[in-house]
Amino acid sequence: MTDQEIRAEAERRASDRTDQEIIRKTLDEGVQTVWDRFALQQPQCGFGQLGVCCNNCAMGPCRIDPFGGKTSLGVCGANVDTIVARNLLDDLSVGAAAHSDHGREVVQVLLETAEGHGQGYQIKDVEKLHRLATEYGIQTDGRATNDIAKDLALGILEEYGTIKNRIQLAERAPEQTKEIWRKTGIMPRSIDREIVEAMHRIHMGVDADYVNLLLHAMRTSLSDGWGGSMAATECSDILFGTPTPLTSITNLATLSREKVNIVLHGHNPLLSQMIVNVAEDPDLKRMAEEKGAKGINLVGMCCTGNELLMRSGIPLAGSFFDQELAIATGAVEAMVVDYQCIYHSIPLTAGCYHTKVFTTSTKGKISGTIYKEFKPENARDTAHEIIKLAIENFPNRNPDRVRIPERPMKVMAGFSEETIRKALGGTYKPLIDAIVAGTIRGCVGIVGCNNPRIKQDYGHITLAKELIKRNILVVETGCSAIACGKAGLLVPEAADLAGEGLASVCRLLGIPPVLHMGSCVDCSRILVLAANIAKELGVGIGDLPIGGAAPEWYSQKAISIGTYFVSSGVYTVLGIPPKIFGSSNVLNLLADGVKGITNSAFAVEPDPLKTADLLEAEINRKRKALNI
Amino acid sequence: MKTVFVRQERCVGCRHCEVACAIEHSKGKGLLSTIQEETKSYPRIFVEVIDNYLKFPNRCRHCDPAPCMQVCPTGSLYRDEQTGSVLIDYLKCIGCAVCAMACPFGIIQFQKIQKYEMNREVNAKCDNCIGRLEEGRIPACAEACKTSALEFGEANDLIRIARTDFTSRMITSRGSETEVPVIPENIRAFQKVMEKLASLS
Repeated sequence: MTDQEIRAEAERRASDRTDQEIIRKTLDEGVQTVWDRFALQQPQCGFGQLGVCCNNCAMGPCRIDPFGGKTSLGVCGANVDTIVARNLLDDLSVGAAAHSDHGREVVQVLLETAEGHGQGYQIKDVEKLHRLATEYGIQTDGRATNDIAKDLALGILEEYGTIKNRIQLAERAPEQTKEIWRKTGIMPRSIDREIVEAMHRIHMGVDADYVNLLLHAMRTSLSDGWGGSMAATECSDILFGTPTPLTSITNLATLSREKVNIVLHGHNPLLSQMIVNVAEDPDLKRMAEEKGAKGINLVGMCCTGNELLMRSGIPLAGSFFDQELAIATGAVEAMVVDYQCIYHSIPLTAGCYHTKVFTTSTKGKISGTIYKEFKPENARDTAHEIIKLAIENFPNRNPDRVRIPERPMKVMAGFSEETIRKALGGTYKPLIDAIVAGTIRGCVGIVGCNNPRIKQDYGHITLAKELIKRNILVVETGCSAIACGKAGLLVPEAADLAGEGLASVCRLLGIPPVLHMGSCVDCSRILVLAANIAKELGVGIGDLPIGGAAPEWYSQKAISIGTYFVSSGVYTVLGIPPKIFGSSNVLNLLADGVKGITNSAFAVEPDPLKTADLLEAEINRKRKALNI
Repeated sequence: MKTVFVRQERCVGCRHCEVACAIEHSKGKGLLSTIQEETKSYPRIFVEVIDNYLKFPNRCRHCDPAPCMQVCPTGSLYRDEQTGSVLIDYLKCIGCAVCAMACPFGIIQFQKIQKYEMNREVNAKCDNCIGRLEEGRIPACAEACKTSALEFGEANDLIRIARTDFTSRMITSRGSETEVPVIPENIRAFQKVMEKLASLS
């Protein structure tokens, strides 16, 4: 490739200047990345893309001719609707399980902390602990914090079981929304039960009715959003503090030329937050200096990065697609991963440089990495050991192969639901008034990942810019928030890009027009935000002038998020087609039929400008129904 | 004249034809044995792709006259009169690649041939599954294709269907609903989304 071709290819792959710079380096050095692997996979199988391939049992794999030919039934007799709906439920359940199992680990650490087994952990947000305990009917008056925490942790762990038959956190939804769930039979009964039942229904010879399958998919997604994900968010807040607004920096320029760089990547804050605490140890700082470094530079990546940014202001190196690029700067001594969204080839990338990759979860081992198992009872020791090994790796850095982009971008983050409410004076009335007056037309949650089918961050940034221009407030989580951070939309000055109404509100409050609400489990914060606004207005979530979008999603977790948005009453636009186009019936139900149930639906639209049109039309429709 | 006719709009890019072709030309003729054979059997049909939504399964058209046959300096290419297939005498092939230069479809690839335990690579293009044809079966690629993107039959019959399709399209533009073969609405919607995604970059 000529220099010019390399430049053009980098611009085709990513939107961000620092990403492009390192992509050029990977092309120059022949380091394989996600875009190369995507190109090598072309063409991808159309049966799979349409969702008409079933690989569930040993009579198969089977596939249905999407053009209506003779191959219309699987060996078991399943038709195209059954196969597509079953595959969707399968994907969704994997996503729900990922969120909820992550949540369970946080609750377990809360329990162990309360019992005094957690090394280095403490209850940081006692106020929130008390608030949740009250929700769970746990006595708080005159009781020790640890006793309350233990009862609460056990109470939330019960949400995963099968005896209780209801989820306490789901009670937070407005009455009108819960009535829809009860009437339709999709009120979640337990976090684990819905996932296990989904697996049962997917087995050959169980559920063949696509409507019945999709209704259970909705129930499973609700057990994630209003269950597992919410448990993860709430208990992380109790253990590490509820986020409040703070400023930090983002993009690949957050890596340091002089310091030991440790990238904290994955989703769960349990170990990474401990690394943040331990890195303050003067002994470690001294050790770094002895090795010729000017200190230790911790940066976050993906949702672990979001968790650390939200609570501790740790710089955020980038999103899902930046994990290889960070290593390719040649300046990363250690990448510490927990689980979810870690490329399985990451040790191969690290092998091109001096980077050491540490896997830390018994659930997420990758051969070719150094395994340091995380356990709550020795979390501090593990964190200490990892940092030490990273420091020892510093002399192996080859300065000739280091390239770190200039100029990190400033970001403001930390917008938990509690913080937003507090900023508004303890009630949503000012926001509701602004929406009624039309100063702010409505609110959209942009969430989700990166996907090589679309230029990195293009969908997130273009959509966010377009919505704020139209006076629609944007809240974000996950890689979407990181994309807008890199693009400079998470600072109060970005109000200049917003429409007059939204800009005036942002300036008044000193907030950005795009609010960073956290990691992907923190989509539950968006649910609580919507629920509280709806309750203050005395309506259901489905009546609110709000919407959701996942312009660049790739993960099964995003299917669960999108579905719990729609099931809760939030119209949601997907930028990447889900694997359901093989069945017109499934397609019609999700794009149209569900409207009659939840007053919301899915839409598929890759063009972010057209997505903005769809969301604005939905907001206007809901405004009209509310007579505002 | 019998041929494998390609209906591009029906190709979903599953590459099942490629797998079936490699198996058919292997020693063991089974999926599991094929992947373990020392001299690998590679496909002689190629599903090419543009932007992940435009796919075309490209294989030898067994032209008549065949440019590859006309330029071969050693006469290693010949026609099986009964089936019209252009075949290769592997022992005569000198690997000069002049046939590949003449091929209008660019489908000639050089491989080692198991049967002769050769150490050199020779023109190993599609042989129309001549063995199967002699047994009254159809080529492996056409048999593997579940969407009828590859159909084996009398060329004129298959062309007639394509012609009717074309005529219908012409009429559709004047308001008729008819279209043969029918591409379902949902598949059209999917193709449109994929096209839009590709156009964004």
